[in-house]
Amino acid sequence: MATKISFILNGDKISYEIKDHWTLSYLLREEMGLIGTKEGCGNGECGACTVIVDKLAVNSCLYLAIDIDDKIVETIEGLASTDGTLHPLQQSFVDNGGIQCGFCSPGMIMSSKALLDENPDADREEIKHALAGNICRCTGYIQIFESVEAAKELAVEDKGGKNG
Amino acid sequence: MRLPGFEYLNPQNLDQTLDMLAEHKDEAKILAGGTDLLVRMKKGLLAPKYIISLKALDSLSYIKDESDCIKIGTRTPIADIIASKPVQKHARALFQACEKIGAVSIQHYKGTIGGNILQNNRCHHYNQSDFYRSGRQACHKDGGKICYAREEADRCNSTCQSDGATALMALGAGLTLAGKDNKREVELANFYTTDGIMPFAMESQELLTEISIPKTNGESAYKRLAYRSAIDYPIVCAGVLLESDNSDKIVRARIVVGAMGRAPLLLANAASKLKGKDMNDQATFKDAATAAMSSAAAFAVHNVGSTLEYRCAMVEEMVLQALKEI
Amino acid sequence: MDNIEVTPNQDRELSVVGKPIPKLDAAQKAMGRAEYIQDIKLPGMLYGKILYSKFANANIVKIDTSKAKALAGVHAVLTGEDVPKKMKMGFIKDNPPIKKGRVSSFRDEVAAVAAISLDIAKKALDLIEIEYEELEGIFDPEKAMEKDSPLVHEHLKSNVLKMPWNIHYGDVEKAEKESAFVVEDKFTTTWVTHCCMGTSGAIALFDAADNLTIYSNTQIPSLAQKDFLESLKAMGLENKRARVIKPIIGGGFGSKLDTYAYEHIAILLAHKCKKPVKIMFDRVEEFNATSTRQPTVIYIKQGCDKNGRLTFRDMRMVLDNGAHTSWGATTPSVMLMPISSLYKVENVKYNAKCVYTNNTYSQAMRGYGNPQATFAIESSMDILAEKAGMDRIEFRKINKNQSGDETPQGLKITSCGLEECIDAVKEELKFDNNSEKGVGTGIASLIHVGGGARIYGSDGCGAILKMDDYGKVDIFTGGTDMGQGLDNITAQIVAEELGLLAEDINVVHSDTDVCPWDVGAHASRSTFVAGNAALGAAKKVKKKIQEFASKILDVPAKDIKFKDRNVFFPGDPEKSMPIGKLLRKAHFSPNGTMLMAENFYDPDNRNMGKDLKGNMSMTYSFGAHGVKVKVDEETGKVEVLEYVAAHDVGRAINPLLLEGQVYGGVVMGLGYALTEEVVHQNGKNMNANFRDYKLFTAKDAVKIKAPVIETIDKDGPFGAKGIGEPGCVPTAPAVANAIYDAVGVRIKDLPITPEKVLAALKEKKGD
Repeated sequence: MATKISFILNGDKISYEIKDHWTLSYLLREEMGLIGTKEGCGNGECGACTVIVDKLAVNSCLYLAIDIDDKIVETIEGLASTDGTLHPLQQSFVDNGGIQCGFCSPGMIMSSKALLDENPDADREEIKHALAGNICRCTGYIQIFESVEAAKELAVEDKGGKNG
Repeated sequence: MRLPGFEYLNPQNLDQTLDMLAEHKDEAKILAGGTDLLVRMKKGLLAPKYIISLKALDSLSYIKDESDCIKIGTRTPIADIIASKPVQKHARALFQACEKIGAVSIQHYKGTIGGNILQNNRCHHYNQSDFYRSGRQACHKDGGKICYAREEADRCNSTCQSDGATALMALGAGLTLAGKDNKREVELANFYTTDGIMPFAMESQELLTEISIPKTNGESAYKRLAYRSAIDYPIVCAGVLLESDNSDKIVRARIVVGAMGRAPLLLANAASKLKGKDMNDQATFKDAATAAMSSAAAFAVHNVGSTLEYRCAMVEEMVLQALKEI
Repeated sequence: MDNIEVTPNQDRELSVVGKPIPKLDAAQKAMGRAEYIQDIKLPGMLYGKILYSKFANANIVKIDTSKAKALAGVHAVLTGEDVPKKMKMGFIKDNPPIKKGRVSSFRDEVAAVAAISLDIAKKALDLIEIEYEELEGIFDPEKAMEKDSPLVHEHLKSNVLKMPWNIHYGDVEKAEKESAFVVEDKFTTTWVTHCCMGTSGAIALFDAADNLTIYSNTQIPSLAQKDFLESLKAMGLENKRARVIKPIIGGGFGSKLDTYAYEHIAILLAHKCKKPVKIMFDRVEEFNATSTRQPTVIYIKQGCDKNGRLTFRDMRMVLDNGAHTSWGATTPSVMLMPISSLYKVENVKYNAKCVYTNNTYSQAMRGYGNPQATFAIESSMDILAEKAGMDRIEFRKINKNQSGDETPQGLKITSCGLEECIDAVKEELKFDNNSEKGVGTGIASLIHVGGGARIYGSDGCGAILKMDDYGKVDIFTGGTDMGQGLDNITAQIVAEELGLLAEDINVVHSDTDVCPWDVGAHASRSTFVAGNAALGAAKKVKKKIQEFASKILDVPAKDIKFKDRNVFFPGDPEKSMPIGKLLRKAHFSPNGTMLMAENFYDPDNRNMGKDLKGNMSMTYSFGAHGVKVKVDEETGKVEVLEYVAAHDVGRAINPLLLEGQVYGGVVMGLGYALTEEVVHQNGKNMNANFRDYKLFTAKDAVKIKAPVIETIDKDGPFGAKGIGEPGCVPTAPAVANAIYDAVGVRIKDLPITPEKVLAALKEKKGD
């Protein structure tokens, strides 16, 4: 069955004809070519496919594409500014060794974004809690936690700049 | 990994949902959060012709704090239950159980309490890829006549690993099931068939709509043992409820053990050890926990999690820890 | 060959080397722009899919592919019949990519298809009808060694591989008799797997002249190219080319040190279909059809004199080789290193048997045998120290390795910070301060190759360096970055040498058509070998620049220095010029030139001789790990409270990436110690998913400190040694020793699960 859905993707209004059984990760990756969202297991166990739907971090491999109808979807491709400036989280993952092979990174960053958007002062325990569904095999997680913590600071500086 | 094809139905209200269920019966599956259903579909464990989504049924997502009970709509996300003050206050065991489900940031927003209760029983031999299962004769749960978990077993030995159900059963929760022409209420403790193939006593045209947790003067607690702190099922879990009178004497006790059998095990004999005893009598707790272990052992399924011996030993420990926490 | 002498630069003030420069490709990864094999689609590409055996051991009686072939959208169906006779994989070439007649493990390939979509390819597999005759399987390597055991490969007459792992240095029998204390134990380790977040995959395609291009996330592009060329030859395509392109790799850890059936099958399918064919593993296939760390049964006996000096070490191992032979069977060559050379011990015996079973076949995984051997050695060290009545840390220090040592195996220890590492761990962890119930500390040390490892005839790596008109560098290296950060190491070394910034260096490491040869990203060798290759190339270019600048600035060439993108003469501020400007002058003038250099660095290490001796590495990395655990005596669950991992790294070229290697290694090691196991039942993988295969999650993450000891190795690039693997080497014994310290039970079987700890506690209490 094909169905037409409309949604906002990284700020753009999109209409797309999809099949009922497509997952969101399939729609993003295979149909729309948005390869930034990775699929590490396809079963909601690794978090590599994490995207944000209506402000909540979800596994796009277990989210039906049809269910994003009328919703707001954010993926890793939408984080950097149009001028190429990295989002504070992206920058801090880069600067603090939060990225090695990089396959888990988009999911990690999206989970972290959902967390900081809701709780800009998240402490180490809250960060661990929020990233519990995102598996990383390279880093041992430590530099990822440090990256999220550093991003909090960057975000604060950003705000300071804009608001004078 | 891709899903098999299906037709997606999007009912706009409860009546439409029930109509669809009545029409399609076994050919349809209800989609709430999808974190259990879609995984099973990807593994080829089921391929329903219709998926009936509950996404429009916001009326099934609520937590109501009533005078004598807390009512929870079955489509309520796990995250909402964790955040709920009434749940934290009156149904602590459920709060503690929900905290442990899957991984917070992700499954909790999609995963629902109804889905957690209705998650299918698991088995190391059954919850495998379709190719894995294709290399052998079908087991009971796959429609065959043999069991790989236990030699010569005449029935399915899959295990119920729901954290939520274990806690809710300890809390004495009841369920509301709606069908096209009927609506009924059932104690969660009576909701199970003890059959691993179809663990729940519900008809294919029925929808689980509400969970009702009676308020008591008691306290509840939930403990689970798992290898990891997230993305893990319990090896063993226990939910307990204790109610005492003014003189700290226990007047009512419920002990439930999960991840051991085909359903959460309500252990009346173990609970009876506590009645009339002092709330602070730790030796009694130990007696009850030991009794829980021997009762649970009879129903234990040698399957997921760990060795039977270890899981049985851990029943005692989890029950004891839960009791001590009260 | 005009090889440039590589000398340490220990006295120089460094401006790029030693700095925590973020990983060069991190930004594109952070933006989701990095292309992994998962992300690549080529025009006209078909999807390949492999059918695996339904039995651990069976004869294939009949295969009928007619229905699959008839399915619309299917372009090719292959069985063992379609595989050329000489197309075999593995280092003894015993494994055809699709089996014919007989399958001997569940991961044996029996057929493959290519179709226009993945769904159709899957459907086609379902339509292939195969009749098997199931045979009794053999799954226990020790049983497989018995005389009347069924044979995995009948023509070989024995399940024991013909491998030379039998050595005796000194006189173990005599030393044992003279020992004051002797301990003897058995240890076992099981299957664990790499769990790269990006699964395996390959895309093969042929051009009109039958030259092959293959995209594959391999760690060994040059050796893979050789394997693929052999396959082409077997297919009758002689004198053709094979180009290997590595997309960005989603984790390696040793998993991609061999070529695999999916790659060779993709080649066969692509050739048959005359279209690009992609084979991509899903997570279940990744668990089932990629190789594991080899399981071992280890018998160890060692002794010391009354002063605590080690007298002998006698070890015997049985390794489960699985049904086919990949590099797993050669891990004893690396196990030999800690067995002969971790601590000073003169008399050493080691015997290892690799045994065929109907299990999955094993391969390289971070540490390459060292974690298994070190688990036994370092557990045994604690047992021996206790028997001798000695402090376990003091005992280790008495027997420490030192610079200048030559070990019984002939390893030459050129620089050694082992004692400093032990002291750093002792300092950070406060060993004798455990009054809390159930809390204990443990320590374990490591030695690992840190300056290449001569396993093959060559241990070399090439580098080609060119400079443009603006002072920017492109360096084409044979080395492979798979996330560990070789791109940075290369860039920082080159930038340092040429007075540039790391961002001025573009590191190309992805294509055998443009990159020179390298033996592969293994043995923690890339920083040392690829680093020296790059450094040598930079030195050559530097010399050319100096010569040219000498003419322009009119000062002696040797006095010209490089810094901040400038060349200058220290004595005279007037005599300075931006490098770019100088290069333009060199280029745009009569008889102009552009500056380039190539360098092939092959270390002066040795292959193992027939006597199994030889200095396999130019230098060795050392380390000591300490851990504080809390054991729940009611559940047996072990919680890691604190971890300290100190390493002698030679020099930290990039402290940020170094920390990342150590942290990641330690957590992988902790999984090995405590939670990870590929559960096999009669050869079948029972936990091919991330829920039942227990990797540490973020919530299980541990506090880790990583003190760095710099010994500035004389042969390392800027004094550096390799440090990719050591992080996971002594983790398991450190944990096991800490558990013993905490609750007095010794677990000798990995992983140390709660049920094992609890059972041991019960046994100790006597119930």
